[in-house]
Amino acid sequence: MASTTTFRTFRAGWSRVPLIGWFFGALLAVTLERLVGNPLALAVGLPKIPALFGLDIMLKKPLLIPNAVLYVLLIYGLPMGIATRASIAPANRLATGLFRLPIVVTTVVYIGFLYAILHVWAEVNDYRALVLKLTLIAIMFTLSLNVINGYMGEFSCSHPGFMALGAYCASVFSLGLFVDNRFFGTALLPPALGPFLFPVALVLGGILAAAGALIVAVPSFRTRGDYLAIISLAFLFIVKSLIENLEYVRGPRGLSGQPDLASLPTVFLWTVACIWSINNFVRSTIGKALNAVRDNEMAASAMTVNTRRTKMVAFLFSAFWAGIAGGLFAHVLRYVNPGTFGIQTLAEVLAMVYFGGLNSVYGSIVGAVSISLLGEALRPLEIFKWIIIPLLLILVMIYRPTGLIAFKDVDVTALFRPKTGPGDEV
Amino acid sequence: MVIFLQNLVNALQWGSFYALIALGYSMVYSILMLFNFAHGDIFMVGAYIGFGVSIGLLALSSSGALAMPNWLILVLTILFSMFLTSFVGMIVERVGYRPLRNAPRASAAITGLMIGIILETGNLILMGARRVSFPSLIQTTTYTVGGVFVTNKKIMIVLVSLLLTLALHQFIRRTKWGMAMRAMAFDFAVVPLMGVPVNTVIALTFAIGSALAAAAGILFGIAYPVLDPYMGILFGWKAFVAAILGGRGSILGATLAGFLLGFTEIFVAMIFPSTLRDLIAYSIILLILTFRPHGFFGEPYSARLRL
Amino acid sequence: MRKGSLFGVCVLVVIMAFSLTGRAQAETIKIGINAELTGDIPKVGEGTKFAAQMWLEDVKAAGGITVGKKKYPVELVLEDNESKAESAVKVATKMITEDGVLVMVGPQASKQAVPAGGIANNYKTPMITAWSTNPDTTKDRPYVFRACFLDPFQGPVLANFITSEFKFTKAAVLYDVASDYPKGLAEFFKQAWEKLHGKGSVVAYESFTTKDTDFSSQLTKIINSGAQVLFTPQYYNEVALIVQQAHQLGWKKPIVGSDSWGSAELVNLCGKDCYGDFFSTHYAAAGAKGATKAFIDRYKAKYGYVPDDVAALTWDSMNLAQTAIQNTGGLTGDLKKDREKVRTAMSQIKKFNGITGEMTFSGSGDPSKCAVIVKISDKGEFAFYKSVCP
Repeated sequence: MASTTTFRTFRAGWSRVPLIGWFFGALLAVTLERLVGNPLALAVGLPKIPALFGLDIMLKKPLLIPNAVLYVLLIYGLPMGIATRASIAPANRLATGLFRLPIVVTTVVYIGFLYAILHVWAEVNDYRALVLKLTLIAIMFTLSLNVINGYMGEFSCSHPGFMALGAYCASVFSLGLFVDNRFFGTALLPPALGPFLFPVALVLGGILAAAGALIVAVPSFRTRGDYLAIISLAFLFIVKSLIENLEYVRGPRGLSGQPDLASLPTVFLWTVACIWSINNFVRSTIGKALNAVRDNEMAASAMTVNTRRTKMVAFLFSAFWAGIAGGLFAHVLRYVNPGTFGIQTLAEVLAMVYFGGLNSVYGSIVGAVSISLLGEALRPLEIFKWIIIPLLLILVMIYRPTGLIAFKDVDVTALFRPKTGPGDEV
Repeated sequence: MVIFLQNLVNALQWGSFYALIALGYSMVYSILMLFNFAHGDIFMVGAYIGFGVSIGLLALSSSGALAMPNWLILVLTILFSMFLTSFVGMIVERVGYRPLRNAPRASAAITGLMIGIILETGNLILMGARRVSFPSLIQTTTYTVGGVFVTNKKIMIVLVSLLLTLALHQFIRRTKWGMAMRAMAFDFAVVPLMGVPVNTVIALTFAIGSALAAAAGILFGIAYPVLDPYMGILFGWKAFVAAILGGRGSILGATLAGFLLGFTEIFVAMIFPSTLRDLIAYSIILLILTFRPHGFFGEPYSARLRL
Repeated sequence: MRKGSLFGVCVLVVIMAFSLTGRAQAETIKIGINAELTGDIPKVGEGTKFAAQMWLEDVKAAGGITVGKKKYPVELVLEDNESKAESAVKVATKMITEDGVLVMVGPQASKQAVPAGGIANNYKTPMITAWSTNPDTTKDRPYVFRACFLDPFQGPVLANFITSEFKFTKAAVLYDVASDYPKGLAEFFKQAWEKLHGKGSVVAYESFTTKDTDFSSQLTKIINSGAQVLFTPQYYNEVALIVQQAHQLGWKKPIVGSDSWGSAELVNLCGKDCYGDFFSTHYAAAGAKGATKAFIDRYKAKYGYVPDDVAALTWDSMNLAQTAIQNTGGLTGDLKKDREKVRTAMSQIKKFNGITGEMTFSGSGDPSKCAVIVKISDKGEFAFYKSVCP
C-alpha cells in the first residue's frame, strides 16, 4: 500500500506539467544527447549512442541491456524528469501566455517545438532519420485507413493500391520533370525547382488515388454489406496487375532514382497536415455523420444524413491521404515497385490500425509508431519476429478488442491548456 | 474448339480448389458474419498434414508391416488429414475467435490474419525454408479425347470436390446440426434461446470448413506437388472473394462463385494476352458486383454490423 | 528515498565507467550481410547466411584477414531485410551509418538490391549483390558490384544455344510478369530470338503472376501455337509445376531454362519430368572440380543439401570482398578512406577465380564471366554440356 501511495505522490509531481513543459524537457534531453551522448555511451559501456532507445541492440547483445537502460535513463529519463518538474511554474506561465494568443499562432509554436525535438533527435545519425521518416509515413497511412475501417466501420483492403497510385504518380512527375533519365528523357525543368513543385507531385498522386477510390466507391456503396471488402481487394489486384503491365513505368522492375526531395521537414510537415486535416474531418459534421452511418445506417438516413454521399466523401478523402503517403514513401526510398504494395503491406497496415485503436487519431499514431519500432527492435530475432508480433496483436485484440487507444481524437485546446491547480490564478 | 474444351477441363480443376476453400469461408461468414482470414493458411496446414500422413502411410506400406495399395493410401490420407485439420480449425476458433465474439467483428478478422501469419511462420520454422514435394499417390495417366488431354488426376479432383460439396449440402439441408447452422445464420441472437448449443455448433462449423480445406490441400498437393508455407495466402484471399461473391448463407452460391472465379482466370488468359489476366479477371468481378451487388444466391440483406 | 536512488545511479555509473574503460579497441573489419531471411524467399536468405558463415569460419581459422602486414579480425553484421524494399533500405542505412561496415554483401533480390544499392552509393560504401540481375542495381553506381552475369548476356546465350543445338526456329516463352528477373530475361530472350529468326518467331509469349500454380491455360495456348521449344526463365519450384503440367497437356518437345533452375531441389520437386532438359547457369554441380566441388561437398556435409546458386554466388561475393580488401595493400583505420580504397581495388579485380567461374571487373560493377549450359541427366544430375563466354 505504502509503495503505491509513494508512487502516486511521485507521479502527482508531474501531473501539473503542461505540454510545453514536456516539450522543454524532451528538447533538453535530445540536446544533451547530441552534445554528450557519445562520451556517455562509451562511459556506460555501449559502443556508441544507441539509435532507437537501445531497442536496436537489446536483442543482438542481450548483455548490454542494463547498459542501454542506464543510458536511456541518464540521457532521457533524468534530465526530462528534473527539467519538467523544475519548470512547472514558468512552463505554465508560458503555456498561459501562448493559450491567450490566436490558436493558429499557438499551434505553430507547438509544432515548431515538436519539430525541433525530432530534428535534434534524428540528427544524431542517418538511421534514426530514416526510421523516423518511414514511421511518419506509416502514421499517415494508418490514419487514412482508420477513417474507413474505424470511423466508417467498413473493411477496406485497397489502401496499398491507393498508396501505389500515389507513389507512381508522384514518381513519374518528379522523375519526368527534374531528373535526366532513360525512361522519361531529359529533365523538363531545372532541378532547383524540385522542392517547390514537390507538393504538386504529391497532391497529384493524392488526386489520382482518390480517382481510383471512385472506382471502388461507386459499386461498393450501392448497398450496405461487406462488398467493399472484396471490391477493394479486387481493386488491389487490378492496380498491381495494371502497374506490372505498364511498360511506361517499367513494370515489375520499378522506378528508381527519384530526386531526394523528401527531407525530414517535408515529411514532418505533410504528416502534421495529414493529422490536422483528418482530425478536423472526423470531428466535423461529416465525421459525426460517418459515425452515425456506421452505428446505424437506417437511423442515420432518417436523421437526414445522406449516407451514400457521406461514405463517398470519406472514402475519397481517405484515399487522397493514402496517395500522399505513397508519394512520400517513394521519395524517401527513392525506389518504387508494384510488389511493395501487396497483401503483405495490407496485413501490416491493418495490424497498425487495430493495434493502435479503432476510431482514434491517437490510436493510429500509437499503432504506427509502436509497430514500426517493434519491427526494428525485433529484427535480430529473424523469423521468430513473425511469431511474436502476431501473438502480441492477438493478445491486444483479446484484452482490448478495439485496440490500445480507441475512440479518441485530438482536442487541440485541451492539449494546449496550461495545467494549473484549482486555486492558482490563470 | 479443342482449345476451348481443353481450357474447360483446366478451369474445372482450377475452380474446384477455389470452390472447396470458398465453402469454408462461406460457412463461417454466414453464421458469424466473420471474415476468417486464417482459412487460407488452414488450407496450407491441411496440405502439410496430408503430406505427413501420406509419407507415414507410404513408409508403413513399403516396410511391409501393412501393405496397402496406393488408392487406399490416398483415401486414408484424405480422411485422416480432414480429421486432423478439423482440430486445427477448432483450435483457431477457440483461441482467436471465441474470446472476440462480442467484439467488433473486424477485430476478430485481424486475429484471424495474425493466426494465419503464425501458422505460416510456425511451418517455416518446423519444416525449414525448403519446399516439399507431395508424394504422387496415383500414377498419372493421360487420356486423349478428340485432342483434349485429360488426366485421371483431373477427373478425380473434380469428382471429389463435387462429391464433398454435395455431401455438405445434404448435411446442411437434412441434419439437425445443419438446421442449427441455418438457424444461426438467420438470427444469431434468438437461436441460443431455443436450446441450441451455440459454441458446439460454431466449433463444428469451423471443423467442417477446415476439413474441406484439408481435402482441398491434398487434392492441390496431388495436382501441383510443390508445397510451401506461403501457398495459402493468395488462395485464401481469392477464395474470400469467391465466398462473398456467392452470397451470404449459400453453399451453392459459394461453390458456383468458386468455379466462376476459376473459369474467369483461365478463360481470360485464353482470350486475352495472359499478362493482363489479373487486371481483366478482377475487373470482371468488379463489374459483376456492380450489377449484382448481393452476389448470386444470397438474400438481399441489410447487415447488422456488431460494432 | 529519492536521494538514495540517485546515489545508487551515480555509483553504478562510476563502476561501469571504470569496468569498461580498459576495453581494447581492436580494429575489426565488419562485413554486412543484408539478407532476405524472412518474407517471400527465405530460402535465398538461408543460402546467403550459410555461405557467409562458412566463409567466416575459414577466415577465423586463418586468424583474420591479412591486409598489408597486419591481421584484422572479421565480424559479420547479419541483418534480415524481410524481403521488403523499405526494410532493405533501413538495414543498409543501419549497417553503413551505425555499425560501420566496410563492405556490404546483399541484398540478393533485385527489388531489395536496387533501393539498397542507392543507399550504398550515397554513403560511398562498396556493396556486392550476389544474385540481383536487374541492370538498375549497378547502373551509374560506382560503389555497387555484382557477382552474377546479367540478363542481356544470358538471353542471347540461350537463344544461340537452342538455335545451334536443335535448329529450331519457333520458340514459346512462359514467364512471371510480376517478378523482374523472369520478365527481364524473357524480354532479352525474345529480342535475341527474333534477331536470329525474324519477327514473329516467338510464337507464344505467355505469362502468369507470382505464386500461381496453374499454368494450364497458358500452356494450352503454347502447345497449340506450334512452338518447337519452350523457354521458361522461372524459379525451380515453378519449373517443377510448369514442366509436369506441360507434359500432362501433351507437350513432348524440349524445355529450356535459365540459371534460376539451378537448385538441387529442382530434381526433388520435378522428378523424371525434368530429365533431359537444358538450362544455363553459373556452374555445373555434377561435373564440378576443384574449389567448386570442395565448396559443394562442405556445404552439403554441413547443412544437409546441395547449395543453390545463391549460396555459391554469395561465397564468391565474400571472397571478392576479401580479395578487394587484401588488394588495398593496407587499411588506414579511417572508414571513409578504407571504403574508397576497397571500391577502387574491387573495380580492378582481374581474373578472379570464383567457384562460379572466372570474373573480371573492368570499371563497371558488372563482371564479365562465362555461362555454362547444363543438361539434367537421366540420373537427375546437372551435367556439364557446354560453356559460353562473352
